[in-house]
Amino acid sequence: MNSTASLERGYRRLLAVYPRAFRRENEEEILAVLLATAGQDQRRPGLAVSADLVRSGLLMRLRPTVPHSARTVRAAVKLICLAALAELAAVLTIAATSAEVLGYVHRTAPWAAHSAALSLTKDEIVGPIAIVILLWLAWAIGRRHAWARAVFLIFFMVTSLGILAALAEGAAVTAPADFAAGLLVWLLQLTAVALVFAKQSAPYYRPEPAEPTDRLPA
Amino acid sequence: MQEATFLILTSLADSSQHGYGIINDVAEISGGRVRLRAGTLYTALDRLRMDGLVEVDREEVVEGRLRRYYRLTPSGTKLLAAEAARLQANAAAAMRRLNPLGVVT
Repeated sequence: MNSTASLERGYRRLLAVYPRAFRRENEEEILAVLLATAGQDQRRPGLAVSADLVRSGLLMRLRPTVPHSARTVRAAVKLICLAALAELAAVLTIAATSAEVLGYVHRTAPWAAHSAALSLTKDEIVGPIAIVILLWLAWAIGRRHAWARAVFLIFFMVTSLGILAALAEGAAVTAPADFAAGLLVWLLQLTAVALVFAKQSAPYYRPEPAEPTDRLPA
Repeated sequence: MQEATFLILTSLADSSQHGYGIINDVAEISGGRVRLRAGTLYTALDRLRMDGLVEVDREEVVEGRLRRYYRLTPSGTKLLAAEAARLQANAAAAMRRLNPLGVVT
């Protein structure tokens, strides 16, 4: 096998990191540029070029595909990420302080120790799941998936029920910090829901009428 | 605006270019300081096309490989002009204040 063929195979393997739709349209072109910028007798991709391809490919898989002009959608994606971050902070705080809190409950109100332990365990399980779902929704909403809007709405309703249940249990009084954190996450989601379902966001979730002519494969 | 984005738009300001042409042009404009890598360039081009600042001018097949030429859209031209004016105003202000000190000759 000559060096160009071996080099080309190396580049193609790296280009597999990119989303398929992007590859279908751009792989040959990028490959031509990569081969043109490679050294004379180079047999395999260099480290810096490889790192750049992997980084760029991952970025293209993760980043929103709505244009910067889609302000409502972009703001919603940021708020959902922020909600995930707030949830993460809450989960870490709970994990770091749970032993102390349980010790305190044990001393002052031993009859409530069991339910307190149960509630903390529930937070430590539900929290991380909520973080994963929020990040996944932020990704899908930024990528213009129409189903993501519906899933987000359902998730928001579930979060709302959780807040109402906590309120009914008197959490606002018995665990004010925990409740405040939950309320913050809920408010961020409420704003994001409003933005995602705003009139200005609607066009980005309609199926594309037709492929723009400049994007047709050659 | 990031410098790489600014330089890519600048390289397309007066004529359409293909990917390899942009890389060489950007290196020349920046005096060899900015060497765009292929991954970075096409990620930026994809973003610029999505934002409606750059579009495909034409396609050619050279030595059996597709070669796409890109050009600025009217809004790309407008954005680049605004960004260039902003940078120029900032640079001019810096020069005005440095000159009396004899720092700039």
